[in-house]
Amino acid sequence: MRSRWTWRLVALPGVAWLSVFFLVAFYAVMAVAFGNQDTLSQPIPHWNPLDWNVGYVLDTLDNFFSGGPFLKVSIRTIEFVAIAVALSLLIGYPVAYFTARHAGRWRGAILLALILPLWINYLMRMLAWINLLAPDGIGSDVLHSVGIEKLFLTMGLLDEPGGWLNGQPTTVILALLYGYIPFFILPLFVAIERIDRRHIEAARDLGGSPASAFFRVTLPLSVPGILAGAVLISLPMFGDYYTADLVSASTQTNMMGNQIDEFMRQGSEKVTGAALTLLLSVFLLGLMFYYLRTTRRAGTTAQTT
Amino acid sequence: MAHPKDKPGISRRQFARGAAGAVAGAGVAAGLAACENTTTPVGAEAAGATGAAAELVVQKPTGPGGLPLPRTDNSVTWAITDENKPVKDGRSPEQGPLRIYNYADYLDPVTIKRFQKQFGTKVQIATYNSAEEAVAKLASGAVDFDLIVGLTGANVVDLIAQKLLAPLNHSYLPNLEKNVWAPLADPFYDRGSRYTVPYVVWMDGIGWRNDKLKEDVAGMDVPWDIFWHAQAYRGKVGILDDRRDALSMPMQRDAMRKGVRADLNTEDEKLVEKAQSDLSELSGICNPKVTITDYQTLPEAKTVLHHSWSGDLLSAAFYYMPKGVKADVLSFWGPEENGVVQNDFLCIGRTSKRQVLAHEFINFMLDEKSAYDNFVNFTGYTPPQNGIDAETLLKQALIPKSLQQAVVRPDQFAANQELLQLSVAGQRFWDDAWSKFKAG
Repeated sequence: MRSRWTWRLVALPGVAWLSVFFLVAFYAVMAVAFGNQDTLSQPIPHWNPLDWNVGYVLDTLDNFFSGGPFLKVSIRTIEFVAIAVALSLLIGYPVAYFTARHAGRWRGAILLALILPLWINYLMRMLAWINLLAPDGIGSDVLHSVGIEKLFLTMGLLDEPGGWLNGQPTTVILALLYGYIPFFILPLFVAIERIDRRHIEAARDLGGSPASAFFRVTLPLSVPGILAGAVLISLPMFGDYYTADLVSASTQTNMMGNQIDEFMRQGSEKVTGAALTLLLSVFLLGLMFYYLRTTRRAGTTAQTT
Repeated sequence: MAHPKDKPGISRRQFARGAAGAVAGAGVAAGLAACENTTTPVGAEAAGATGAAAELVVQKPTGPGGLPLPRTDNSVTWAITDENKPVKDGRSPEQGPLRIYNYADYLDPVTIKRFQKQFGTKVQIATYNSAEEAVAKLASGAVDFDLIVGLTGANVVDLIAQKLLAPLNHSYLPNLEKNVWAPLADPFYDRGSRYTVPYVVWMDGIGWRNDKLKEDVAGMDVPWDIFWHAQAYRGKVGILDDRRDALSMPMQRDAMRKGVRADLNTEDEKLVEKAQSDLSELSGICNPKVTITDYQTLPEAKTVLHHSWSGDLLSAAFYYMPKGVKADVLSFWGPEENGVVQNDFLCIGRTSKRQVLAHEFINFMLDEKSAYDNFVNFTGYTPPQNGIDAETLLKQALIPKSLQQAVVRPDQFAANQELLQLSVAGQRFWDDAWSKFKAG
């Protein structure tokens, strides 16, 4: 009995912190989105849900459903994030698998190498890429000499030689991938490491080839890690605006975050900005629930089979 | 200009938003009407009328808070109210630090040091990224500054309506009359310079690398057309990341082609939408970047053609040329008429407790030496000083001939336009058009 109370007490500051800085802030966004603005273009939040004015949110929704600019930006954002997450999986899974299973005494060093870039501010890392990818930068030279540039050009993923910074969706996606991939690998590494090796041994004992043991045991058991990583990186990617701004700045690569930034920080329509923020949150909440449901199901299947 | 209310039929959008906003605004408007801001010519006072009377007169659109919108043909004298009077004459400057709110890199640090030494005080600078951000933060009360640098006639009504400025006492500002171009010392958006004092002037134009572009931009019939013919420079073209400047660019092009005068403060939604669709065409043609970093990207040739503020080309020449690249590879063209020529101003925060010191700073910056140093050693933005012009700079070989046009002259103010504050409804569709452009 006593220990239960102790734990509740210990959890209290964290819960209070989250409540104040998430729930209250989120409610403020709602109050603004369902509010109005005065003749000075300043938002008037409606704190009482009974007074909520749905005009701006409906307006924003209308913009989506009538195929307005918000729809275009949303589709682009989902596209960018989906590709970046898929690439993270493609590149990140082998790294996480190797580190968890075969790295041996190098494991610590590899983990350190994964975390090391995070010591440097995200913006700094992006700014570094701007210099690396400039037409005469080392990065674009290397990409050119190892043939990646040519490959991208033939695949139509790059407009012209050396044009990495010419407002290319490819560059934005790669920058997102680079910026967030450590956050994908780390939870995945933990998930793979925690898989009971006896399951794999059992699979092999029962006549499974290494490949089928991987595809029928290891991979399904690492699904929760994959999902955790995917959620962990896609949530911030959906709200990201500075990556696209820094490595491209073209209107062709603007993401949802850029639109929100435009309304909230630059323009005089903060209410629309809040409405967009709200709709994005609802979408992300949907993703979150899907994640929770899938991991729970994955958890139970893992236990029962 | 049609009043937004005159539009046939109300869209669902306006309907959804209108009702509560009107109520919320009425109180503000009534409060502000009591200030008795005066507009000239007479007849424009109808702009302040509300309620039933308002419907009986043909109105010019009114600005935020129901205040008049200053225009060259409708100058405004902002009232000085009893609760917000200028600081008294003959006081000595307060203790520092003087807290300044400014764009980044928009005041010469050496000049600031000289001020600190002369007045035995400290200066603290905080920065903002856009005028809208600055006004919003000031209005929220979250920030509190003695001096605000860099806002323009596009914000003045907001600043007055939200009571963010302290009035000025000219007895502390002898340099205003002595040094500043006469029309700017008594501007139409603030007659008598009651709340604001001009800081620097600039114009919108085209900045390009004459060693990378084969076209003679300045020699074209309509130089703005270059952006729509920039296929060869795809990805290396830039458009100013500022809704008003950027959307007014295709308007200027249109007007120049037809040989007519465009109203760059138009409240005609169709014209703004047309400007947006013209601007959006550029995405297919040259996929422009939307930035304000031309002062770095042009010298580095990361962009070769940019929609630019004149001052950025000069600061590029003064400060940002990489080793081995001469400033004469940069060119600037700005329209002689129908373009954007404007000034930023200095003003004092309403809540400032260091108003005398802030006045001293303004007067210090209006001194010819400070203004000159700040201009050629740092910002590149022309101060509206009688003693500083392009010829002087050319003679001293400070700027190449190709950038001569980036030094703004006083006579350019008459033939060109300033981007000014719009009505709230007007601002909204300019914003919507911009969001549409930004969506790509």
